[in-house]
Amino acid sequence: MHLSQAFSNVWGVSPEDDAKIKEVFEVLRVKYAGYEDPWGFNLELCEKTLRTILPFYRRYFKVRVFGQENVADVPYLVVSNHTGQIPLDAMLITMAFLIDVQPPRILRAMVERFMAQLPFLGDFAAQTGSILGDRANCQYLLEHKESILVFPEGVRGVSKNTTQFYKVQSFTQGFYRIALQQHTPILPIAVVGAEEMFPFTWHVKSLAKLLSLPALPLTANLFPLPSPIDIHIGKPIIVPDDLSSEAPDKDIKEQVMRVEGQIKKMLAVGLKHRRPFFDEIRKPLSKFILKQDRE
Amino acid sequence: MNILIIGMAGGLAQITARLMLSENPTWTIMGVDSRSLDKVSPLPGLTTLSMKYSRGNFENIFRSHKFDAVLHLGRISHSSSDAEVLAKRLEISVMGTNRILELCLRSGVSKVIILSTFHVYGALPDNSIFLTEDAPLKASIKHPELRDVVEMDQMCGQFMWKHQNELSTVVLRPCNIVGTQIENTMSRYLTTPMALRPIDYNPFFQFIHEFDMAQILCSSISKLPTGTYNVAGSEFISLREALDLVGSKGLPFPISIAKGMNNVLKLMNIQVPEYLLDYLKFSCLIDNRNLRQHLGDEFLRFKLRETLELIRLR
Repeated sequence: MHLSQAFSNVWGVSPEDDAKIKEVFEVLRVKYAGYEDPWGFNLELCEKTLRTILPFYRRYFKVRVFGQENVADVPYLVVSNHTGQIPLDAMLITMAFLIDVQPPRILRAMVERFMAQLPFLGDFAAQTGSILGDRANCQYLLEHKESILVFPEGVRGVSKNTTQFYKVQSFTQGFYRIALQQHTPILPIAVVGAEEMFPFTWHVKSLAKLLSLPALPLTANLFPLPSPIDIHIGKPIIVPDDLSSEAPDKDIKEQVMRVEGQIKKMLAVGLKHRRPFFDEIRKPLSKFILKQDRE
Repeated sequence: MNILIIGMAGGLAQITARLMLSENPTWTIMGVDSRSLDKVSPLPGLTTLSMKYSRGNFENIFRSHKFDAVLHLGRISHSSSDAEVLAKRLEISVMGTNRILELCLRSGVSKVIILSTFHVYGALPDNSIFLTEDAPLKASIKHPELRDVVEMDQMCGQFMWKHQNELSTVVLRPCNIVGTQIENTMSRYLTTPMALRPIDYNPFFQFIHEFDMAQILCSSISKLPTGTYNVAGSEFISLREALDLVGSKGLPFPISIAKGMNNVLKLMNIQVPEYLLDYLKFSCLIDNRNLRQHLGDEFLRFKLRETLELIRLR
């Protein structure tokens, strides 16, 4: 048996998921027929990438999605807490909206300038739907009925030491002004489990600054641990009609605090009902030990 | 109508003059350039003069001909940044343009059209998609050698509003003009067999055919009010697809190391201006709503893909 075949048997896409991917991309091909994307979004590459990484979503991170019933067939500004040291949460949320949410959609994730200028990776991110976090870019996409994924904590959300895990950093206001400008509903998301992918982390902020990097985490593990991930989708927040996108900061801040508060609440509930992190390692290990004992 | 075209030796100026005279046989055009005008085909209604813009007899032309409109297409290409060329660029593009604008004002010209470039915006990783005319001109931040390009555009903008009651000024910032007659960096890049084909980036580009650009220059005399206009169609294309359409296989190369490899590339006879390397990494797409408002949605004859296929004729 070829190595690739063996790998595929163990780590391949299940027949149900294969059928699901085909169904999803049939819908998306109709949606994007004739659409030309100025960032280079490539639907074929998205399908290939999804096929490659879906086993991680299903079997490694064992992602569960709650609150799918809150999603309607309209464009959203999807706002989430940011966790983990690398933005794997963005990838998992995007996959959830493709495979576990109806109707399927490609979330256009807003990325930092740092990401956009990286060779190979910047191009790959753009082809799989990412865009530079910029108001004009968001406006263009919302006008084209696309949903956008935003992390208003920015880099501060992912660059946290172990002691700060699940402490939501204050939200910036730009996303809310965009939502007001386009009258786009905000869909709050809380991701639970991503912090534990790198459980022991220390950020060398001074060195990151010296090297002009957005963050420089020192972690005990280099590859993310299989922490079980829960994605909670909240009820959409409708932005007020009588508030201008150019309103003073204090008026916008009040609204932003509402969104931030809702995500914090969802996070607190999610943390109560989460699966224990070490269960994923402990259960198979105990089974193995029991088996050895019996023998 | 009596028209002065500055930069007559250029391919675009010649197409514009031909188009203008075929549409308006009663018009007269004077074409001036500091370069040789031997290759300019004679046309009824067209007079050509080779002279420097700094000389006194250049001023005399304005006094003796009473031009109604002036088309300034004589900016020196910014493809070379050698010290000598740079000094000449500053003299001609900035000082020369300033002199031309002053002469237009003094001699009662009612319309002046200046050909700038979209390169004034710069190709930066944080560029918004579809830059409007109000976007900051950031080209010279990273590439100081482009300061003449930015300074000329800004100077025209200041002149435009300061003298808006005396004459109408139009600044055009076209995207990449390509065609068989025009000689610019992008046309050369697309048609050279050793074009660097980025493997690590794939930015988006807009192209306009030289004939369409000439048509817009003609239309701008009567249809465009005072202001700055981005000139591009609504279509865009990735660089790799554009190279495929032109039929250029190019040399697959990681652009992220091209700057450091410049000397090696020169030995291989591959010369890409440093500023252009940024355009091979990051998109710089411009918004055309302002122009469409005055020229309508269908203001181009050639679709983008047709434009690129036509370059094969070079």
